[in-house]
Amino acid sequence: MLKIENLKVNYGYIQALEDISFQVKEKEIVTLIGSNGAGKSTTLMAISGLVDKTGGKITFDGQDITHMRPERIVHLGIAHVPEGRRIFPSLTVYENLLTGTMGNRKLTKQRQKELLEEQYELFPRLRERLNQVGGSLSGGEQQMLAVARGLMMDPKMIMLDEPSLGLAPIVVEEIFNMIVRIRDMGKTVLLIEQNASMALAIADRGYVLVNGNVHLSGSSKELLSNEEVKKAYLGA
Amino acid sequence: MEYISNQLINGICQGSIYALMAIGYSVVVGITGMVTFTHGEVMMLGAFAAYYTFLWAGNNLLLGIFAAFAASWLVGMAVYKVCYEHFFDAPRHISLICTVGFSMLIKNLAQIIFGANRMPMLNIIDNRVYQIGPVSINLLQIVILAVVIVLATVLSLFLNKTKGGIVLRAISQEKTAAYMVGINVRSTAMVGNCIGCGIGGVAGMLMAIYYQTCYATMGGTMSMKAFSSSVLGGMTDVRLSAVGGLCIGVIENLGITFSSANFRDAFAFCFLILVLIIRPQGFAVKKGARP
Repeated sequence: MLKIENLKVNYGYIQALEDISFQVKEKEIVTLIGSNGAGKSTTLMAISGLVDKTGGKITFDGQDITHMRPERIVHLGIAHVPEGRRIFPSLTVYENLLTGTMGNRKLTKQRQKELLEEQYELFPRLRERLNQVGGSLSGGEQQMLAVARGLMMDPKMIMLDEPSLGLAPIVVEEIFNMIVRIRDMGKTVLLIEQNASMALAIADRGYVLVNGNVHLSGSSKELLSNEEVKKAYLGA
Repeated sequence: MEYISNQLINGICQGSIYALMAIGYSVVVGITGMVTFTHGEVMMLGAFAAYYTFLWAGNNLLLGIFAAFAASWLVGMAVYKVCYEHFFDAPRHISLICTVGFSMLIKNLAQIIFGANRMPMLNIIDNRVYQIGPVSINLLQIVILAVVIVLATVLSLFLNKTKGGIVLRAISQEKTAAYMVGINVRSTAMVGNCIGCGIGGVAGMLMAIYYQTCYATMGGTMSMKAFSSSVLGGMTDVRLSAVGGLCIGVIENLGITFSSANFRDAFAFCFLILVLIIRPQGFAVKKGARP
């Protein structure tokens, strides 16, 4: 579904991504793990067209999206839930959700209502806070709102950038359960996590990034039992 | 006493024009995220558009409003193309300097095209005076107040109730996230900028009608008043900017009641400085953000 070949990104003269290649197939959860500065977020930004690429090719559903404008990429059905939530702080929860529908022009009013209901079901907390402004929510609620906003466009693939960042362990658990439910709804998930053990526990496949390169890849089971991964990311 | 109450009405009326200017200003600054110094010239061109419309089409206020709005909209597009579009990723002062330069260009072009003289604005509204108790208010003032209130209400409904308005507010708060939800940030920012400019143009027209004169350099003071009102309201808050404009108008007119009309601007800016000393963030209270 999503195919990335030899992606290169520079920030000034610093090479953030040297050579990244990976694939995401339909209806699977793929996770990119790696330490700070490995290039995980940059990879997602590159897919969304938010950073300039110096080389490589990205295709989504057979279409070349390497140099497409960000909003066009979103319209193809890729939702990006950014690191640090980035919800709209002075819009109410409902309005935040409504902006999510901008990414899909084919949504009918009816479908929009259904999607809203889906989000309320997935995140009951949001329904209670519907008329509260986004900035007044707690960190976990903001994360849920960010994910719900991404889902409002009924995407084919959703990319989650560190959804567990800065959240209490119990909330993290909730978020990960929800990611599995999103996949069960028939969506493809590309997940970035520092919490490697949690991420690998729910993912089908994983890639380990080191200094802008894909260092290791394999099914989650393989990675979980890999000595190197255990030592570096799982703390065993 | 009657003098003071009349000056108060005067102040409210003038303040409401400032409020409209400041509303336009805040919309521009809020949505593009960049400070503009072309706003005065945009307002001046709005006034001229209305001036020529009145010359050709006679006393038609609605047509004048439309012309002012449309002309300023077009100027807003030009401002956006020249001063903002290429500089979204650049430091903010670059576009700021660019707007300063562009405003000089417009001002001087306007002097060449329209002439440097003051033009008498046609008296499009009957000079009728109504006496309500101790205050007398003339028809012009009523019309101005009505135009401001209607425009402000329409804008507020648009921003708060329609999807387009929600999108505009969204890009004013988080541009990166706006890209990520699939909003075409650049074109939306342009529309937002143009709406702000259009409102400014109408305010410029009202100012010209109120003083019955319009001239190529009228933008200077107007842009300072718009800027001050907007700063009072915390730059990007539309409602508080309107309050700021109203305050400045009233303070000015009450101030000159007790002294001379020469001190008009002094009162406005002293008030601004005083408020900023006491409350550097203006009237704004940060709502909805966690510390």
